[in-house]
Amino acid sequence: MNALELTGIRKRFGAVAAVDGVSCAVAEGEVLALVGENGAGKSSLISVACGLYRPDSGSVRAFGRELPPGDPRAAIEARIGAVHQHFMLVGPLTVWENVVLGREPRRRGFIDAARARREVAEGAERCGLAVDPQARVETLGVAAQQRVEIVKQLWRGARVLILDEPTALLSPQESAALLRTVRALAEEGRAVVFVSHKLREVLDVADRIAVLRRGRLVQISRRSETDADKIAGALIEGPATAPEASARQGERGPVLLTVRELSCASDRGRPALRGLSFELQRGEILGVAGVDGNGQSELAEVLTGLRRADGTASLGNDVSFHRSPAAARRAGVAHLPEDRQRRGLCLPLSVEENLALGHHALPPYARGPLIDRAGRREKARELIEGFDVRPADPLARAAALSGGNQQKLVAARELAGGPPPRLIVAVHPTRGLDPFAARRVHQALRAARDRGAGVLLISLDLDELRALADRILVLFEGRSAGEAEPEAGDDRLGRMMLGQEPARA
Amino acid sequence: MPDLRARLFRPARDPAWGAAAALLASFAVSFVAMAASGRDPVDGFGHLLSGAFGGPGPLGETALKTSILILTGLSVAVALIVGLFNIGAEGQLIWGALAAAVVGRLEVPGVMLLALLAAALAGGAWGLIAGWLKVRRGVHEVISTILLNWIAIHLIQGWLVPGPLAATGSGAHVSVAGTEAIQRGAWLPRLWPGTRLDLGFPLALLIALGVWFLLSRTRRGFEWRAVGAGPDAALAAGIPAGRRICEGMALSGALAGIGGALLILGTEHRYPGVFRTGYGFDGIAVALVGGGSPAATAIAALVFGALRAGATRLQLVGIHPSFAELTQGLAVLLVAAPRMFQPLLARLRGRDAVPP
Amino acid sequence: MNLVLDFAAPLVFAALGGVLSERAGVVNIGLEGMMRFGAFGAAAGAIASGSPWIGLACGALAGAAAAALHALLSLRFRANQVVSGIALNLVALGLVTYLLQSIFGSAGVSPEAPSLPRDRFGHTALAYAALVVPVLFQLWLSRTPAGLRVRAVGEHPRAAATLGVRVLPLRAVCVVCSGLLAGIGGATLSVGILGQFDARMPAGQGFMALAAVVFGRWTPLGAAGAAFFFAAADALQRHLSLTLHAADLRLDGLFLALPYALTLLVLALGIGRTRAPAADGIPYDPEART
Repeated sequence: MNALELTGIRKRFGAVAAVDGVSCAVAEGEVLALVGENGAGKSSLISVACGLYRPDSGSVRAFGRELPPGDPRAAIEARIGAVHQHFMLVGPLTVWENVVLGREPRRRGFIDAARARREVAEGAERCGLAVDPQARVETLGVAAQQRVEIVKQLWRGARVLILDEPTALLSPQESAALLRTVRALAEEGRAVVFVSHKLREVLDVADRIAVLRRGRLVQISRRSETDADKIAGALIEGPATAPEASARQGERGPVLLTVRELSCASDRGRPALRGLSFELQRGEILGVAGVDGNGQSELAEVLTGLRRADGTASLGNDVSFHRSPAAARRAGVAHLPEDRQRRGLCLPLSVEENLALGHHALPPYARGPLIDRAGRREKARELIEGFDVRPADPLARAAALSGGNQQKLVAARELAGGPPPRLIVAVHPTRGLDPFAARRVHQALRAARDRGAGVLLISLDLDELRALADRILVLFEGRSAGEAEPEAGDDRLGRMMLGQEPARA
Repeated sequence: MPDLRARLFRPARDPAWGAAAALLASFAVSFVAMAASGRDPVDGFGHLLSGAFGGPGPLGETALKTSILILTGLSVAVALIVGLFNIGAEGQLIWGALAAAVVGRLEVPGVMLLALLAAALAGGAWGLIAGWLKVRRGVHEVISTILLNWIAIHLIQGWLVPGPLAATGSGAHVSVAGTEAIQRGAWLPRLWPGTRLDLGFPLALLIALGVWFLLSRTRRGFEWRAVGAGPDAALAAGIPAGRRICEGMALSGALAGIGGALLILGTEHRYPGVFRTGYGFDGIAVALVGGGSPAATAIAALVFGALRAGATRLQLVGIHPSFAELTQGLAVLLVAAPRMFQPLLARLRGRDAVPP
Repeated sequence: MNLVLDFAAPLVFAALGGVLSERAGVVNIGLEGMMRFGAFGAAAGAIASGSPWIGLACGALAGAAAAALHALLSLRFRANQVVSGIALNLVALGLVTYLLQSIFGSAGVSPEAPSLPRDRFGHTALAYAALVVPVLFQLWLSRTPAGLRVRAVGEHPRAAATLGVRVLPLRAVCVVCSGLLAGIGGATLSVGILGQFDARMPAGQGFMALAAVVFGRWTPLGAAGAAFFFAAADALQRHLSLTLHAADLRLDGLFLALPYALTLLVLALGIGRTRAPAADGIPYDPEART
């Protein structure tokens, strides 16, 4: 009998069909992988499966019984548990409170806290997942929070475990540990739905692989009957993306950015950078690798003037270019921020206004203290065409654009909207983008490098760093853990990211 | 006529139509409420209309009230533009009123302009406090402006006006007298003999025009809007977001302060001992119905101004003027929840979709 | 100092209402309006029935009904919660005056209403309840399953929803109960203290309760403590104006401004890191795409 069976699921958001008639099933003891580009409907499909979304049509069955649509409780009772991409944890509560929430053990009307703590500790130990039940969740790191999520579902007796992009924020070693846990859970007889877009992981862990494209199921096959090429072919319409040559065209120029002993604190007041030093040359893409939270975000913020730091960073001879965002911008620093919706765009404003943002005091956007409406419109049309922003409407609200087009909008503005940038700080520039939008952004970064700009590319995606960077700098606990050539293997980069490879002289 | 229908049923998407629908609906509900309490609603609304528009006197009253509401409405709207919800127009207004009453007593040429300026400064300063607290201290402006309102009310009306600034001769126990009268030269000239219409009305319209120009045509206005639309993105783009928020709140307070000055220089001619305006709170309603656009805010101010002016006539048929507040509250209620109309519209559309 | 307990009771109830609503993630600027409905409902109910206890129940229900409107607007129709609260205050201002005049023929005060019995210290049962309820509320919030769910829903509603907690119904119940408490606070003013309804009620007490919520860092005991502190400042002012003839100096305004100024100061100095619940004021859309 199938543990979870989806039949003819359809779900629309406004005019967009997120899931368009998908049927699939997973049996006990089996790992089913769901792969697809961004926006292919993976997240919507699993949200239907665990009752968060009510499907427009179709049915969800668990162990043969049909579940009422759009009822998360029914899904939980049917022992379906999901670990979402964005963790569903309440930060200020403790680990055990998060685990028992909604099914609290009671004693005389109060929560039986002692029992809850004991059970959570025992449950975690049984699965080999180390967590402290008393810790407040917001003080834990990403991998630990994920363990809390899994323990939470297991404590609730989940027989079907849905994992949505579980490795997105983990280091290679942490990912490997997770994949082992997943296999172990399946061998215990649980059904696992593993959502990912990383083909290697999927081929490692899955028994069967289902490929989604534009809300439809285009292929489902046993692991033994498929391979990476077949899946990639089903994943992407038209010709598969061929790896592009990254060869630099111009010669590497003189040193552009010198960072010496840079230190700063994180938002929580803990040390984030601890004496980081490196150099970046003109016409070079320097990749920055590292497990999330080792100072990458703070480094980008320091260089773009958004965060104060000790130590020196000089752009050419300018040592105070990062005293404020405005100063950094005047010095020729462009920024593709980590959180493009919050930091990159004013979502309620129009596309043309967003394209002018930051350059809005300069021609052709302004004439003296007034806005040059005609000039701004014309420039906007030019940028929209150059970066293929869709819809090609300067008056569309930025909020109405898809994630990929929003990123193209930010890239258009930062790379071509104003005077040519000297230093480009790009943080996870293709996170959440489909391969086409990602390629567009990569092209733009390469083009900027070839014009002589220096690019600091911060990414968690090793494949992206390899494809794009001329050198890779690995950050560990706010310091350099050394540099590697783009050809370095996963093990070596992984060890450096975990601080186990001594930095080379 | 699919064209007309498309236009009629735009309200769900178009805020201007949504606001108009909300206004109409709130009038309809008050109409029913009037009938339910045993009065003749047609008669009542007749009095309301004649009290607002029936002749020069009522027209003057409507214009007078409209001009104050334009200013307090713009005050709230400008704060919304920079992303802050200014509940504090009332406090800013009474500081402006007090400043106008104090400066208006000076025997200097151009005292009227000076009083207006002082009111703008006083209101602006009070607004700036909330902006500064938000930017520097992370104090939510809804909380701080509520607190600042009550601080202003108690300081001015519980201490300054009956105490240090009380008119001499009014005596310690005749606190209703208020402050000393202002100079004749500070009075806003009346524009229409026989009515109370004064220079305040054209002045308010001119200010509304200025605010519109500032917001939609200048770089600074663009920066304000960017900060309101996405403070982090504006900051990352090199706009000093904190400073822009403070500027916006100062302008917001200055507008409310000028509103207070119009009351003092136009009609009261002193800071009265009993001064319950409510214009600051009504400004919130005006701005919300106006949806943050200066032009729509002016129109909403006209509607509520007429309602306020007309409501005084309702007493003739035994209805308390608080009726105006009721209608206004209902309008905000309905504007607040545009989704309320969606099922209704969907049903209307659905019915239309069936071919006859 | 006997006055403190009497003055504090309405503030305590309204502030607890504010804590409940905001901990569940719904901003409640409408406390003032809910108190007003409660005060009027209690007076009207007591006059009609002749019993102050029935009046108290009517007041609580009137507050709850007003809160139900806030819940409907802000939860069902996802209105901005601040706007919805302001609208509620405006409606309360107009409608209650309108009803006062329609029912009792006066826009100033209602006829005298039967008021709650007082013990030999001159306190009503509500004054003592104001001492006990905050403690019970604190225990409930921190130790019971329902309390845990309320805290979770105010911090991260989607997380709670994935675990089967029904976010919107839970928030609705909290908002309605918040109105119930604010209504009792209002009733304390009319059938508890004054013995009639005055058109000016609650004269800013709802906003002062809101200040107490913030001052008390969104905890029941903190908010109640702040309410007592504010009431003490008020009592002190009255005491001084009687003994020192401060009335002639017209300093009452300074004293009345004090609680607000202190709250602002505490916020401005960031004493003890005041932090609102993370999801406070953010409408929850169960179908939103994450």
